[in-house]
Amino acid sequence: MNNITVIQDILSNFFFFAGMFFVFLGMLGLYRLPDVYNRLHATTKIGTLGAFGVMMGIVIKLGFGPMGIKAITVGLFLLLTAPVAAHMISRAAHRHGVGLCEESTVDDYGKTYCLINSSCPVKHEETIEDEHDQM
Amino acid sequence: MKRYVLYSIALGFVWCFVHGVVSLSNFLIGAMIGPFLIRPFKELYSLGEEISYREKLNRIPKQIHYFSILIVEIVKASIVVAKIVLQPKIDIRPGIIAVPIRAKTDVGITAIANTITLTPGTLTIDVSDDRTALYVHCIDIDNAKEIRDSIKDDLEEYVLEAFE
Repeated sequence: MNNITVIQDILSNFFFFAGMFFVFLGMLGLYRLPDVYNRLHATTKIGTLGAFGVMMGIVIKLGFGPMGIKAITVGLFLLLTAPVAAHMISRAAHRHGVGLCEESTVDDYGKTYCLINSSCPVKHEETIEDEHDQM
Repeated sequence: MKRYVLYSIALGFVWCFVHGVVSLSNFLIGAMIGPFLIRPFKELYSLGEEISYREKLNRIPKQIHYFSILIVEIVKASIVVAKIVLQPKIDIRPGIIAVPIRAKTDVGITAIANTITLTPGTLTIDVSDDRTALYVHCIDIDNAKEIRDSIKDDLEEYVLEAFE
């Protein structure tokens, strides 16, 4: 009986530390990566895993009591909502004309979106060239 | 009517999980309140379509398989991004590419978009107007075709099996 609680403690602490470490990495990514879209990569993926790790730690520590079940629920909701939040933030950013960072190689979305909506504030090389042609 | 029953059962389970105690009385309370919650939001549930219980039940093993794959992919994704974050000098070539998809229904497109966001190095930004392509931001584009193929072959198969 005693052994089981010791193993439970060790496992749950391991999950807590793993989760916290990943959340820390997510914050580091938020600070270090160059633009909105890359930062969202760090916060969604690593943040989800980190929070999930902490929730798993709670489940192992407290068992499937009321708290453990709530922790599972919170983990599942995070898993479902984090991608949606990232999707909405990145979409809003792109439509408001937040450009990609200098290292970026391609932007398919910007091209099609700007061709459809001429009022799009993002100035891309192609549209600028078209204006030159007309002049 | 079948849909009301199915969603009420699902909401009953959700209520059990939110409450924290899984018991028959909690489940019944959730299932009874469920229809009143579904009623004002019925546009979101597509109640008009006919469905069969058997088909829904047959999909459950495939959906469990899909979730197990999803969890492995999330762990891989986090390790990939963690490696990038921990590099002394960040060396990435990000960009947005269009990825054609085969999923047609709303549920299928949502599932594939969320799956793409949770897998290594990719983040869904938008669906094209004719709903045949997703715009995906990749943190490191070596080969756009390779990324498209990996999404099509690895992820979309499971999503189509589980949700379409």
